[in-house]
Amino acid sequence: MLSPERLALPDYEYLAQQHVLTYMEDAVCQLLENKEDISQYGIARFFTEYFNSVCQGTHILFREFSFIQATPHNRASFLRAFWRCFRTVGKNGDLLTMKEYHCLLQLLCPDFPLELTQKAARIVLMDDAMDCLMSFSDFLFAFQIQFYYSEFLESVAAIYQDLLSGKNPNTVIVPTSSSGQHRQRPALGEASMLEGVEASLFYQCLENLCDRHKYSCPPPALVKEVLSNVQRLTFYGFLVALSKHHGINQALGALPDKGDLMHDPAMDEELERLLVQVPGLVNSVSASPEASCLPSRTPPRVASPWRPLHHSRKVDAESDGSTEETDESET
Amino acid sequence: MIPGKYRSVSGRATNNVNCGLHLVIQTSSLPEKNKVEFKLNKETSSFPGRLLQHDLERNYSSRQGDGRVISPSPRNKSSCISSTTNVTELCGLEMKTAMSSLSAFGDSSTQTPSKSRMRQGCHSAGPNVSGDHINLVSSSMPSFPILQRSSEEKILYSDRLTLERQKLTVCPIIDGEEHLRLLNFQHNFITRIQNISNLQRLIFLDLYDNQIEEISGLSTLRSLRVLLLGKNRIRKISNLENLKNLDVLDLHGNQITKVENVNHLCDLRVLNLARNLLSHVDNLNGLDSLTELNLRHNQITSVRDVDNLPCLQRLFLSFNNISSFENVSCLADSSSLSDITFDGNPIAQESWYKHTILQNMMQLRQLDMKRVTEEERRMASVVAKKEEEKKRESHKQSLLKEKKRLTINNVARKWDLQQNRGANIPTNQDRKDSDSPSQDPCPIDGSTISAFPEETGSLDSGLISALQGLSVTDTHLVEVDGDTLSLYGSGALESLDRNWSVQTAGMVTTVSFSFIEFDEIVQVLPKLKIKFPNSLHLKFKETNLVMLQQFNALAQLRRVDQLTVDPQGNPVVNFTLWKYYVLFRLSHFSMQKINGTEVTQNDMIMAERLFGILAHVASSELPQYRMISILGDTRKKQFQYLLETKGKKPGITSEENNDSKRLTGENTNRATLNYTTRDFYNEKLEEIKEKKKFCKMYIEDLVKEATEINMKNEALQKLWPQMFIELVRDAVIEIRNKNSYMKLCLQQITDQK
Repeated sequence: MLSPERLALPDYEYLAQQHVLTYMEDAVCQLLENKEDISQYGIARFFTEYFNSVCQGTHILFREFSFIQATPHNRASFLRAFWRCFRTVGKNGDLLTMKEYHCLLQLLCPDFPLELTQKAARIVLMDDAMDCLMSFSDFLFAFQIQFYYSEFLESVAAIYQDLLSGKNPNTVIVPTSSSGQHRQRPALGEASMLEGVEASLFYQCLENLCDRHKYSCPPPALVKEVLSNVQRLTFYGFLVALSKHHGINQALGALPDKGDLMHDPAMDEELERLLVQVPGLVNSVSASPEASCLPSRTPPRVASPWRPLHHSRKVDAESDGSTEETDESET
Repeated sequence: MIPGKYRSVSGRATNNVNCGLHLVIQTSSLPEKNKVEFKLNKETSSFPGRLLQHDLERNYSSRQGDGRVISPSPRNKSSCISSTTNVTELCGLEMKTAMSSLSAFGDSSTQTPSKSRMRQGCHSAGPNVSGDHINLVSSSMPSFPILQRSSEEKILYSDRLTLERQKLTVCPIIDGEEHLRLLNFQHNFITRIQNISNLQRLIFLDLYDNQIEEISGLSTLRSLRVLLLGKNRIRKISNLENLKNLDVLDLHGNQITKVENVNHLCDLRVLNLARNLLSHVDNLNGLDSLTELNLRHNQITSVRDVDNLPCLQRLFLSFNNISSFENVSCLADSSSLSDITFDGNPIAQESWYKHTILQNMMQLRQLDMKRVTEEERRMASVVAKKEEEKKRESHKQSLLKEKKRLTINNVARKWDLQQNRGANIPTNQDRKDSDSPSQDPCPIDGSTISAFPEETGSLDSGLISALQGLSVTDTHLVEVDGDTLSLYGSGALESLDRNWSVQTAGMVTTVSFSFIEFDEIVQVLPKLKIKFPNSLHLKFKETNLVMLQQFNALAQLRRVDQLTVDPQGNPVVNFTLWKYYVLFRLSHFSMQKINGTEVTQNDMIMAERLFGILAHVASSELPQYRMISILGDTRKKQFQYLLETKGKKPGITSEENNDSKRLTGENTNRATLNYTTRDFYNEKLEEIKEKKKFCKMYIEDLVKEATEINMKNEALQKLWPQMFIELVRDAVIEIRNKNSYMKLCLQQITDQK
């Protein structure tokens, strides 16, 4: 119980840092909101349910955005909920626009800001052609990075800009500041020819940032791994690398590995059960599982207004891989 | 009206009519042989037949105008007959004489039998039955025969000369006949009018059935009153300048293409232009005495200027090419016209012919030779009134249509403005958007007015003037057309508060929304559900449907069979998933059509496949307190509405409650997917913020208190062992000296007592 962290801080700060206060506040708030109904089945029961749902990650469903982004746990829970609910959309192989993904997000969180979705799309589409179609997995992983580390990424963006413009980022106190500056001057000259910033310098800044950053940031070791592979890189290059990094995904823990993205046997089972209940459904579906697969896959490509499955040039390789995997895993 | 002069002249003529006219015409080329004796029989014996014929003709013409078509022989000149009668009436002549004297320009056919009987040729002088003897003597002058009459004939018929059927190719020189008033050249082959300029007293000149090609040689005949030039080859009306006293002008059966050079004939009563080549009639001004105008058998398509004829009573337009009343509309302006014929024209075939004519020409007494009865007139006016009404109705209709169009335009413009403004103020647009347009309509009106003229440019002038009275500032439009209720503009939503008749409400199965913010529509959906329980088909156009979750709002309706979301102004339609989401979310309606496309089983399965998990997660994984709160919101909302509107009627309320229960029962697993409008949601967020603030403070206090207690507790825990030891030590020290301790104890006991 008494972790060293626990002892290092005064109680109140500790509670605040671990977001316990957030949940307590929210619990009371929820209680307040529905006090008549809740008082009927017991306040103790309510608190039990509340904290259970927090543990299960279902507490964020249909909540307001301010709550969803309040804690890392909430963010992870939201990412997971999004994945679970709309995995089927990705499984179907549809490519959607940023706006449509945004709509899906809004189904879970009515006031989800468009800005965040746009930023995530920018990672996938490399800052241009915002109307392009994206595969589900591409978007999801980019969105994960953007959403979970949004504050961190903002700071990174600032650092990147500072580095690009050649001055030492004032937000970062680099221990070897003088040498850093020395190294930067030639880098500036190269920057005009080469794109982006030098990876090692960038890492130094980021490492520093991670140390000080009070919001969640990716594990520095993994960031180092990402940056160590290249000499120079751009901001979006960095983001793309982050979003595709398995380790970071694992560290975050909200989503399964890319290969398993379409796997959710429990839910698939549930879905089959639901399909049987479709009002006025033909017997054939319940009779043979193949039949149930067939109509769902064929009609959208033949008669329905679904768009032909064009992949935008940038997501080509990625999305193809993921859809193929889906096909295999399904059969 | 009639110049006395003429009457007296005719009177004199009358006196002489009964007397035979004996002329001797001598052709100079055939001195003796060709001396032909004519007998122009003007005797009473021939009269009855002629008279009979005339009567016949007259009746004929008055009864059946068409008869002439059947036997259109050039001999049948009905026009002449009417002229005849006309003259008879006007001149007040004795009937018989008038007939006889004017029969010349009447019908040759009437005379033919008797005449031919009388004389077969010029040279074969027929038996002198009785009457005139005319000797045509070929004169010494080249090619012109000179006419001489015996003196007794001259005395007998001093003022008339008849040279019918003499095979004359030129006009003979008529000498010593200066008193001649009546000259007849019927049925000859005369090509040119000449040699008669000395006959300055001539009143009556008949050149019927000759080969005259141009009117000429008449300039000296100033007293001429009757000029008969029927059945000739005249192409142009000309050279009548001096014939100012002309009373009757017959030009029928010629080749005249144009009415001209007649404007000075202010005494002309009868003008016959039948069987010519006229196609347009105009240039009639100046004919101030004209009472009869005959224009039968031409190719007339339009008539003008008739309203400039103050005395015109009879107008014959039979057998022409008139096809619409507009082409002869001047007739309506003539106040004197009482008799008109249109038979044989295309116009007479139309169903509206009779009543249109009668309606436009109230003064008419005869139409196509039939008396116009009061009944007919009444019928005509009834029909006309009906037509007028119809016209007015259609005018009103088009006016309404136009107004509708304008209103919709206006609403659309306003909508556009609103949308643009919304785009300009991306943050916090929701609130401002819905409020601002109604607050400042001025710029909107301005733009409407400026755009007005070009918009109505296509309309006829009458409509435009009527439209100017319309207010184009209407900001909304409600229209019930059959089973469709169309609402344009957000203001139209208020109409749902109106008391709709049960019938209307029951009939409406389609509700269409245009130019209305979807969020505003959501707020009236409960009303819609109550007021129009049969609405099955919803249409949205320009309603700012942008999110899938907005469709959640439709789930609260009772039934929706069809949904049409126009891509215009509804970006959500561009999404690949929207249809499936609708099917999924509104699956309890078992919808049949979306945007006109039939919903198939596969669509349903696909929808379930895509969103089924969402529903499952939403229903099974949502903690109960959340479920309560979410479902509670909807229920509360409905309840609130019921309290507001129908609270007084408990029956309906309970029914509503049942209804909502049934609804939520139907799709529990997706009832949690609902839509709150932006306004409402923001309100809710505000509320939550307030609560959060309070909770934060409350928890802060609680936690602080708890941590303080905890701290004290910890401190106590730290101190406690030492305290305990100290306490024990004190106790031990106290009881170390047994005796003194005992003493002390005893002392205490005794003190107590």
